[in-house]
Amino acid sequence: MITVTPTGSAATRDLSALTDAETALEIKNLDLYYGSKQALYDVSMKIPKNQVTAFIGPSGCGKSTLLRCLNRMNDLVDICRIEGQILLHGQNIYDRKVDVASLRRGIGMVFQRPNPFPKSIYENVVYGLRLQGIKDRRLLDEAVERSLRGAALWDEVKDRLNDNAFGLSGGQQQRLVIARAIAIEPEVLLLDEPTSALDPISTLTIEELINDLKKQFTVVIVTHNMQQAARVSDQTAFMYMGEMIEYSDTNTLFTTPEKKKTEDYITGRYG
Amino acid sequence: MDTGNLNKHISGQFNDELENVRSKILAMGGLVEQQLMDVLTAARDKNTELAQDVINTDDKVNNFEMEIDEECTRIIAKRQPTASDLRLMMTIVKTITDLERIGDLAESIARAVLRNQSSVPDVVKFNLEAMGEQIVKMLRNVLDAFARMDLKSAWDVHQSDRKVDSLHEGIVRQLLTYMMGDSRSIPDMLELLSTSRSLERVGDHCTNIAEYVIYNVTGKDIRHTSAAQIEQVVKSRAE
Repeated sequence: MITVTPTGSAATRDLSALTDAETALEIKNLDLYYGSKQALYDVSMKIPKNQVTAFIGPSGCGKSTLLRCLNRMNDLVDICRIEGQILLHGQNIYDRKVDVASLRRGIGMVFQRPNPFPKSIYENVVYGLRLQGIKDRRLLDEAVERSLRGAALWDEVKDRLNDNAFGLSGGQQQRLVIARAIAIEPEVLLLDEPTSALDPISTLTIEELINDLKKQFTVVIVTHNMQQAARVSDQTAFMYMGEMIEYSDTNTLFTTPEKKKTEDYITGRYG
Repeated sequence: MDTGNLNKHISGQFNDELENVRSKILAMGGLVEQQLMDVLTAARDKNTELAQDVINTDDKVNNFEMEIDEECTRIIAKRQPTASDLRLMMTIVKTITDLERIGDLAESIARAVLRNQSSVPDVVKFNLEAMGEQIVKMLRNVLDAFARMDLKSAWDVHQSDRKVDSLHEGIVRQLLTYMMGDSRSIPDMLELLSTSRSLERVGDHCTNIAEYVIYNVTGKDIRHTSAAQIEQVVKSRAE
């Protein structure tokens, strides 16, 4: 006889048990202060490779702050102070020896509003490569096609690569920015509310793209749209007032969350 | 759901929709419970008028099923419920199917009452009535467990199904004895057999509803698992 066991949250994967080989980034006991105000409290998590990890939570909960820690964008904020570690290939990215520019080559970022440069579509995509000193036209052409295909934009722009990027629609601009980010082939792609300025159809295109991107990259996404997190991510972290309240499989988090705070937030209740 | 938690959404409209669907399913449960009690009374007293009432009520029950189904579909489309809200939707959609089936079974017993006016051997009558009482209690308790989303009483209902099953087996044995003793009694006894079978099926539907309640509260799907496993789920939650 086949024995059936109760299904439900019991099937949850233990994310803290990921091996180093399965982990893209590991955050260890991260505290972050803006001046005297603490914005992140003892955050620890492992972000799995080649998967989509979403951060959700109300405004001001620290999810964008946490995302920005992952490629040291917070270095630009003078009063920001960080304790704890973020490990990439076993090395703390906040170590003195780490070169921030090369770190950001490995961990690319896309922002809420599409921010193409006032250049042609072609030049936008190859911008990072030119910075790296690549001049070979053939290499650049290849990178443009590969990246635009990767960002699901190639078919729409292949005949007007020399047109100004500002002529594209909002959704196309956002995909162009993603193409620019993946042109330099980072390991990790950070997306900070990438669709909040886009219409529903462009949003779905980007979501579909995110699903493709994870084959090649590790994706971390911050989103205000809970349904989006539910649709695109493999695991979801819920943050509240600087603390990571719950981090688990997206399937589990949206059907049987463990913590009451998570439940209240995702079901739209006031606590 | 603690029922108290249903009305805590930021969206007041969502609260109203959930409350509305909840009160409808309780009304539907009440109607089915009445149907079941009436059909047992009709069978006991050979009251054909009451039996006809039970048959007529079935339309209302069916309507409830369709209405609640539609309402749930609307809520899912518009609100995209998650977590406990989503489980509640699934629980409701499944529960009303079982309630509707209980209504159908009551109706089929009522039709048997209309057809069969021969006398029932006292001992069978006694046992059928005992089973009927047990079944009404089970239905009432599971509706109560549903209304309060009470894990403990859902589990009690689940366990009480064994009692019903053994009552049914006892009746089957008695009916076989009569049929073997006098083959002319076979048509009447078969009618009684089907009544007993219907009551036993009502017990199964109550058990299903109890399982949905346990799922809704704990998030664990305990269908087709052993009693020991269910008990473990219920207990771990109670701690």
